[in-house]
Amino acid sequence: MMTRFTRAFGPVVLATGLAFGTLAAAGPQDDTLRAAMAGEILNLDYLYTTRREYIVLAQMTDATLFNMNPDTQQIEPGVALSYEFVDDMTIDVQLRDDVRFHDGSPLTAADVAYTYNWVTNEESESHAQALISRWLDRVEVTGDHSLRFHLSAINPLIIRDMAQRVMLRKEGAYHQGDSVDTNAMAIDLIGAGPYRVASFEPGVEVVLERFDDFYGNAPEIGTIVVRNLPDMGTQQAELMSGGINWMFNVPLDVARSLGAQPSIDHLAGPDLRVSFIVMDAAGLAQEDGPMTNLQVRRAMNHAVNKPEIAEFLMGGGASEAIYSACHPVQFGCVQDVMRYEYDPERARALLAEAGYPDGFSLDLWAYRERPVSEAVMADLEAVGIDVNLRYVQLETLNQARAQREIPAYIGTWGSSGVADTALIARVHFSDTSDRHLSGDAQVVEWVMAAEQTADQDARLALYSQAITRIAEQAYWVPLVSYSADYLVTSDLEFPLDNDGVPRLQNASWK
Amino acid sequence: MVNYILQRAALALAVALTVSLAAFFLLNIATDPAYAIAGEEADPEVIEQIRIRYGLDRPLWVRYMDWLSGVLRGDFGVSYYWNKPVAALVAERVGTTLTLAFSALAVTICIAIPLGAMAALNRNTWIDRFALWLAVSAQAVPNFWLGLILIILFAVMMPILPVSGDSTWQHFVLPAFVLGASSVPPVMRLMRTGLIEVMGSDYIRTARAKGYRGRALLMRHALRNALLPVVSVLAVQLGQKVGGSVITESIFAINGLGRLALQSILGADIPTVQMLIFLFALVFVATNLLADILNAALDPRIRIG
Repeated sequence: MMTRFTRAFGPVVLATGLAFGTLAAAGPQDDTLRAAMAGEILNLDYLYTTRREYIVLAQMTDATLFNMNPDTQQIEPGVALSYEFVDDMTIDVQLRDDVRFHDGSPLTAADVAYTYNWVTNEESESHAQALISRWLDRVEVTGDHSLRFHLSAINPLIIRDMAQRVMLRKEGAYHQGDSVDTNAMAIDLIGAGPYRVASFEPGVEVVLERFDDFYGNAPEIGTIVVRNLPDMGTQQAELMSGGINWMFNVPLDVARSLGAQPSIDHLAGPDLRVSFIVMDAAGLAQEDGPMTNLQVRRAMNHAVNKPEIAEFLMGGGASEAIYSACHPVQFGCVQDVMRYEYDPERARALLAEAGYPDGFSLDLWAYRERPVSEAVMADLEAVGIDVNLRYVQLETLNQARAQREIPAYIGTWGSSGVADTALIARVHFSDTSDRHLSGDAQVVEWVMAAEQTADQDARLALYSQAITRIAEQAYWVPLVSYSADYLVTSDLEFPLDNDGVPRLQNASWK
Repeated sequence: MVNYILQRAALALAVALTVSLAAFFLLNIATDPAYAIAGEEADPEVIEQIRIRYGLDRPLWVRYMDWLSGVLRGDFGVSYYWNKPVAALVAERVGTTLTLAFSALAVTICIAIPLGAMAALNRNTWIDRFALWLAVSAQAVPNFWLGLILIILFAVMMPILPVSGDSTWQHFVLPAFVLGASSVPPVMRLMRTGLIEVMGSDYIRTARAKGYRGRALLMRHALRNALLPVVSVLAVQLGQKVGGSVITESIFAINGLGRLALQSILGADIPTVQMLIFLFALVFVATNLLADILNAALDPRIRIG
């Protein structure tokens, strides 16, 4: 209630206040960018975390073997200068020789091998383990700055995983003699990124200082302070009083309201997150429920006015209606699929054909963007579906879905900022995932086959088949893509990237 | 009195354990902590790994008995969310919350008692009406709204106080006022009613007959008895300040127990939630006990009775 109130009235009251008051100066005087994050920062080690806030921090503090260009989605050199497939199951990697960790020690092949072998070791309990273990057997040091990766499986996303998931650690980072400490890097992180951690108070503040020995391009801003401010209203007040320069994940109404102030800019860019309705086509929750009927699923696709949701509820810079079960910019996300335009009359006709002329009752679960959920509910009710909106915490939805109690839910997926359909397809259309409600073995086969070849053309063909069939069978109601909305003080230059991941290390003062 | 205190302490423990049992089962029924710990886009394999690592795959009653046996040994477990001993986590933050709670209580006392006394001594005048209006208004204003307004006034429009944080005493001024203001109406009204009642009693009439007037009459005879119910309420209010500072601590980004409670609930951090509920229940019973002892000290009739 508090958040809704402050979201609704905070900007209005603050704007009124500004008309009568004066602003404290916010600026580059001390060359310190102060950023706010609502999510708690408790652990600086990205090998043990997954949330978006941690990705943002890891981009600043850590180095990876390769970098991904967010605009082109191409892999570029990072700590590694190059890689070469010796055969299908072996990759040789050549490292730079001028990379240093934040404690001054040089980064060598032994450090890289230690990191990867540690991640795949069950003892590590790393959050990256499941992903990397899918393709990595072991890493062998072949020289001071050269390595050989021995693979356990072919995977098209190997280099991308190297670029985005495995942050490099010093040899022995998690070992003290015979004892293992998986939390060793949680607080006192030693990375090799453009910023080093100067101080960290979990749940309160992280202070980052520019690392002068960084091997790549030096960031322009000397110090970045990331503060945990859980309340959006407090973040707004801090922004207006000069306490912070940057806030993200800003609701559209707040962003538009405060962005109208002369000292504050509203920035909006694309985000890889998409939303969609997943329907229990397999009848896991209700064996012969309405969701198992193709005509009903198609009717639901026609019933929802996606363009208006995108324009009026999501808005921002880049939100748009989507028609495929993935983000349009992702590799493999074909767009020439069966489209269900907004057509409530057609939806009613399909429901009647399906044997539901008077509609039916539906428990629709949701956990995020309540206004969108309510708009979807209203659209479905307009064609005769009596929706009981079960708006819950994400964990509750996850639990209910795992117990096969959900006939339909509004899901969202950010693909960890990776523009490849693999990141959304596997988790939603594989037999090992409880998110998979279609029951379509053919789709699963195509999706899994696409992960077992490095041939990009073959992958494209497989995803094309899978995405096309998902649309034909209307397993989902794809809804909209998200917009990434930021509020920044107008003295800050903050470039936006296409993948929606904020990169504070690229910010500068105007 | 010693027996009485021991009885109440045993009751406090029983209440705290009962509440923790209810909280444990409700939290586990409501959500799966493994999902909360893993994050929104974690792989199913990671979630399963977490479930096994934290023992979440064991039956509920086994996990509760495990927790209970730990508590009896003084071990409150390790936070899922913060990955450190819960007792250490609470110890780190309790000082901040106590500082806020006592500051808020001081605000309540400084406003409510003089205002209540003035209203009682000037019954049916504009002062009385103003005090009652203030009490009604203060009760109608939610904490988060008052917090926002104060931030706008004193941190944005007139930037004389910080918006958020807890590193200096200035950071506590606004939150203490917000938290303290919510207790002003009940305390002020109780003070007013109590003093009106006392001022009309026989012994005050006797004191007047003996020549006591004004300040001496108020301080030596009236106030002491009028404060009796107020002390009870203040003690309960202190408990509420410690346990109920969730919204205030979140708005002002104060790193105390209230914010910890909110984070733990949202993160399904069951060991931390349980310890906090256990602690808050103890604080409530303890502050009630404190109120009884203070009342006994202030009024000899209670001691005899």
